[in-house]
Amino acid sequence: MVSFIGRSFVQKIITLFFVSIVSFLIIHLAPGKPSQVDPMNPKFTPEMVERFSKEFHLDKPLYVQYVYFYQDLFTGKTASWKDNQSVLKKIWERFLNSLPLFIVGTLITWTLSFPVGIRSAIFREGVYDRTATFLSYLLISIPGFFFAYVLIIFVVTRFHVPVIGMETFGIGDASLPYILMDRIWHMLLPSVLGATGGIAVLSRYVRSQMLEVEGQDYIRTARAKGLPPEQVHYKHALRNALLPFVTMFGLILPGLIGGSVIIESIFSWPGMGRMAYEAILARDYPVILTVNFVSAVLVLAGTFISDLLYLIVDPRIRL
Amino acid sequence: MNLNETTVTKDFHVEAPLTPKRTRWEEFWLLFGQNRLAILGLLIFILFFCCAITGLFLTSGSKPIFDPSLVRLEEKLRPPFSKPNLDLLEPDQVPTLNFYLMGTDDLGRDVFARMLQGAWVSLTVGFVAVGISVLIGIFMGGIAGYFGQHYLKIDHILLTLLLVSGTGLIILDVIRFGAALLLLCLAYIVYAVLTRHRSKKKASPSWGAMFHINAVSVDTLIMRIVDIMLCFPSFFLILTVVAILPASIYNIMIVIGLTSWMGTTRFVRAEFLSLREQDFVAAAKALGIGNFRIIFRHMMPNAVAPVLVSATIGIASAILTEAGLSFLGFGVPPPHATWGNILSNGKNFIFDAPWLTFIPGITILIVVLSFNLFGEGLRDVLNPKLRERH
Amino acid sequence: MTIRRVLIFAPILLIVVLLQSYFWVPTYEQQTRGNPARLAEYIAGSIGDASLLNPILTADSASSNIQDFVFEGLIDRDEQLRFRGRLAKSWEVFEEAFFYVNPSASIPGLGKADPQTLAAFVKDAQKKNHATDPGLKNSLKRITEISVLPPSTFSVTRPFKDPNTDTQETIEIRVAAPARIKLVLNGVDPDLFQNLSHLLGKNYFESFHGKDYLSSPSQHGKEKLPAYAEELLPATEHNPILLFHLRPGVRFHDGHTVEADDVKFTYEAIMNPKNLSPRISDYEPVKTVQVVDPLTVKIVYKRLYSPAIGTWGMGILPQHLLNSKALEKEALGLGKDLKTFSMRQSTFNRRPIGSGPFKFREWKSDQYITLDRFDDYWEGPPNYQRYVFRIIPDLLTQEMEFYAGTIDSYGVQPHQVKRLEKDPKFQSFAGTAFGYTYIGYNMRRKPFDDPRVRRALGMAIDVDKIIQYVLYGQGEQITGPFVKQTDYYNHHIQPLPYDPKGALKLLAAAGWQRNKDGWLEKNGRRFKFTLITNSGNDLRKAILAIAQNAWKQIGIDVRTDLLEWSVFIQERVNKADFDALILGWQMGIEPDLYQIWHSSQTHPYQLNFVNFKNQEADDLIIKIRQEYTHDRQVEYSHRLHEIIAKEQPYTFLYVGKWTAVLDKRIVIKDVDDAGNIRYEKIKPTQTGNYAFYFNKWIKLPKAPNFMDEG
Repeated sequence: MVSFIGRSFVQKIITLFFVSIVSFLIIHLAPGKPSQVDPMNPKFTPEMVERFSKEFHLDKPLYVQYVYFYQDLFTGKTASWKDNQSVLKKIWERFLNSLPLFIVGTLITWTLSFPVGIRSAIFREGVYDRTATFLSYLLISIPGFFFAYVLIIFVVTRFHVPVIGMETFGIGDASLPYILMDRIWHMLLPSVLGATGGIAVLSRYVRSQMLEVEGQDYIRTARAKGLPPEQVHYKHALRNALLPFVTMFGLILPGLIGGSVIIESIFSWPGMGRMAYEAILARDYPVILTVNFVSAVLVLAGTFISDLLYLIVDPRIRL
Repeated sequence: MNLNETTVTKDFHVEAPLTPKRTRWEEFWLLFGQNRLAILGLLIFILFFCCAITGLFLTSGSKPIFDPSLVRLEEKLRPPFSKPNLDLLEPDQVPTLNFYLMGTDDLGRDVFARMLQGAWVSLTVGFVAVGISVLIGIFMGGIAGYFGQHYLKIDHILLTLLLVSGTGLIILDVIRFGAALLLLCLAYIVYAVLTRHRSKKKASPSWGAMFHINAVSVDTLIMRIVDIMLCFPSFFLILTVVAILPASIYNIMIVIGLTSWMGTTRFVRAEFLSLREQDFVAAAKALGIGNFRIIFRHMMPNAVAPVLVSATIGIASAILTEAGLSFLGFGVPPPHATWGNILSNGKNFIFDAPWLTFIPGITILIVVLSFNLFGEGLRDVLNPKLRERH
Repeated sequence: MTIRRVLIFAPILLIVVLLQSYFWVPTYEQQTRGNPARLAEYIAGSIGDASLLNPILTADSASSNIQDFVFEGLIDRDEQLRFRGRLAKSWEVFEEAFFYVNPSASIPGLGKADPQTLAAFVKDAQKKNHATDPGLKNSLKRITEISVLPPSTFSVTRPFKDPNTDTQETIEIRVAAPARIKLVLNGVDPDLFQNLSHLLGKNYFESFHGKDYLSSPSQHGKEKLPAYAEELLPATEHNPILLFHLRPGVRFHDGHTVEADDVKFTYEAIMNPKNLSPRISDYEPVKTVQVVDPLTVKIVYKRLYSPAIGTWGMGILPQHLLNSKALEKEALGLGKDLKTFSMRQSTFNRRPIGSGPFKFREWKSDQYITLDRFDDYWEGPPNYQRYVFRIIPDLLTQEMEFYAGTIDSYGVQPHQVKRLEKDPKFQSFAGTAFGYTYIGYNMRRKPFDDPRVRRALGMAIDVDKIIQYVLYGQGEQITGPFVKQTDYYNHHIQPLPYDPKGALKLLAAAGWQRNKDGWLEKNGRRFKFTLITNSGNDLRKAILAIAQNAWKQIGIDVRTDLLEWSVFIQERVNKADFDALILGWQMGIEPDLYQIWHSSQTHPYQLNFVNFKNQEADDLIIKIRQEYTHDRQVEYSHRLHEIIAKEQPYTFLYVGKWTAVLDKRIVIKDVDDAGNIRYEKIKPTQTGNYAFYFNKWIKLPKAPNFMDEG
């Protein structure tokens, strides 16, 4: 156990190192350089471009820049080129904004997919199953932004309430429940939209897991000995079908930082995805690289956790 | 019945192997035919394919039948099925069908013509991107699964590192140092070739043995590369690369392809690991058939099923990715029309001209859905585990 | 089965909780009715967030939008675009001019003279007032003071790089300057020395050679003397002066009074290379900024530079919060390195303090910036209690928020204006903006070096149609680079006609004939080029498609390419690697065209990337820069406009309009001296700026009826 943890930890560190190199190279070898000042401003001189690039070590060879960057990152000194704010602080702020969206989205996904998936598996090939299959494929086939616009326009023109942003602006000194409910309302659409893909994929996965388990001999045995079907499905089958999902708890971790660029831009939700997107547009290298690094750490941590969970949950695996 | 039995008894002594009642294909179709949604998906898929091909012919050339780039500003935002205002138009501006089947966009271009052209472009984006990812996936997965146990020696790794860093340094204008590294590599290769014959006779000196230690197996190496690639949030990675590279349809296809091969690699590797242990592979090896022939001729056809499924679904998601990129302004640049950029241009006019949003939006929806349903059908058919037990 | 029940009830419960929240959210009407505070709040939507709220550090539009509310400059422009005092109550423009006494020159009617006699001679000429030349008479009249500066000796060192040994050294130059005459004028007179030469002799100034008074101990120094003569001992020198009298009693938001020191500090902060200010080139011609007394500041310029006045619209920074001592303290507090800590790192940029009508309250990145009104504002506080700058990156959702009532204004698009102007709930405005859109041709490349080709390309595009259909009429055609609503713009110039046949004729004259496939050809080569623009601008993308189509109609094979902004600028524009491009310029009101049109600015990374070179235009550009008299600037600008229109280096397309849609309940509220409240409808000023009286705006619970609405 300990050796497994140690080995996989070292492995993850090595992977992380290569990820850092690859992401650094991708960004720095691309054409076009970052600039803080609009180069089309008539009052902008080439000397200033030079001064900027010196300020940000862009005139140094790549490996020196690499060392500078990760040195700054680990000492917490990385600052955005755009507004000189500390990148880690920025990411933390955005993370807190993305968090409620992520939690609600995940809740919707998980609570909805299980009943849907299980029912489809039980009534296999029936009308319910076919409809659920079709609907779930419909959900992952809609271009996200198209769906988002249709929903927004429907809600705004029909109900005349604001849906964009994290809260209603100018709501003034409303009492706490109003403010709370207002926030929940603003979370509804983006989290539902963010969850659509997840619901479709997860419910399909639940269905196939259930089917696989239902085909096992012990289920037949249970059925044969005359247990009520409900008990067979929900007690014997479900418990074993759930096993792989435990490990998925680890894998949702990267979703924390991934966020959806498109959903966040449409709903002007000041989350991680949008910050990363705007950093790409402004070529704010420190922000792009840090987001990349943090998300790689989360992915690796996620797989690590899921490995561990599997180890704990599944008695068949002993290392 | 009787007749049949007699024929069977009559042929009983013939040495020919018994063929199954149905060929593989027949069985496939039989199973597939039970899944009505999948059939629907396949039909739409074929229809889409035909549209794309005819679209290519109808909209290209210097005087295309449907000109997708013909601007008629007077005729902007006309709804579907509306007749053109013939007084305002030059004779060669009149639409081919004499009416606008799908209306016109904000510059008065015929949306039908643009959708036709976009079908081909979207199709190419989907297929080429998935083609790239499947090729890389099969190659990497095949190597990892088949040659997995081979070990790379430290000297090989060092050599590769030297070569890569040497080339890299030359690219980065550190020519002298880079060239020195490359020369070092060359010297080592020459040395290695020369000592190869000798080493057969006597063992290499002890200090050199260090370089021949097995460092890492091919399988580990490839799976680590997969891990590294999986560490990048994929849409974010695509966005970064597309945003900083010059926009072109090829870049988008390549980038989508290069960032989505990891799944295929894993499937193929898993299949190969189990196939390698099977008897027919052992038999082929015993017959002295070359490694690559075994891989491609004997093992690949058996491993292709999950690849096919993931490729079908991959095309669907590539089309969606392209639409998402278009929305953020990084899609295929004009003059190519894609469904994604028709949709993202149209959304600005959603109140004035809803058809500009709904026609491409729903078309994408239908096509992607058909791919997904078809892929799902394939999966059901090809995965014997999920087949219902009768 | 509990499991089953949990599985079914959990999602239902979740969905119910989420959906019921709808009943708590205010609708459009409820927002204002139940909440009077909302009426005193103005929420503006914007696509992008500000970067730094410090006027000397940033120049992007989102940041300057906020900076204009928080900071205040010495002056700004009024409704007529004339200068108007803000922090400065009044100002004077005059000059000090200098010339070296030229002992070798002989003055008509005086001969060789010593400095004192010379000064007396000029004074005398001024007194007697019998000069025959009217220009001279004028110039003499302006002189208010004549004094003699005694000869001086000093030495300077200059860096020198030896081309043979590649070593850096410094050379010493000794200057033995002769006596100098100083003239103080009551205005700026660019022709002063030209006129004085009528009095002092034609060659009086030309025959003064600075290098005769320079010496250097080193050999290299001696060789370099002529190069430094012009810099160290110019025969004549204009020093225009701006003297600002500050308004007494104006305070920063923290209560500190605004004084001349703050102006001087702002200037120094811009010039400090550590701050990387994008505005540094505006202030490069400044020689010194002197604090005369706490309310008077004197700005001396090195040379004639008429755009100088406009640069003082720049927001003034509070010295006491940003001087080196304050920064040092902040760096220590934050534990940052003192050496690298500059104003750029200061937290001031995230919570600025200025002297404008609104004071900063809060900034949440990518969400909003809120400002509160400043009650001690010298002109009286604005009507709105609060200004909120809300960031919504998507245009369509901005519109949705506008419908939902949670923003009061947004970057409304022409087609949205068209739809909304009919809505009785809203009022809409439009006014000519300052920026224009053009197609620029790279004149280094064939066939764009031929003005006939450029003209023909312009004639093939129907700009009227673009304005009518793409901009929905929210634009005007232009013919040249000046701001259309100023008098620098020459209205006599006719725009290029839309005439594809005429274009073909012109092209035929330039040697381009149509081949049998319909493509234009010259010497067997097809007319083929690539038109590029940046991605992310829908109007430019539309023009790209229109231009491509229009040129295809006359047989030109045009490729198009959309490039991401930084690649577009850095790889293509800066390196002049393009055939033709679509871009826009945001113009200042000053008629200074030096950076975009002067032939010295055609190198890589400079803004004359189309390589426009015209001797007469160069002269005019310099003259406009040096001229302080409005009428003459206008005269020169008209001529310059004519030249550019003739040469057609750009196909000038249109100048867009500022468009805005507001709730009808937003009106101007005026309180006269007697305390009577009067409401007025918001109207754009003559120059098209509808938000000019923003400080007087307020939202009413109910839209008032105005007489002129019928």
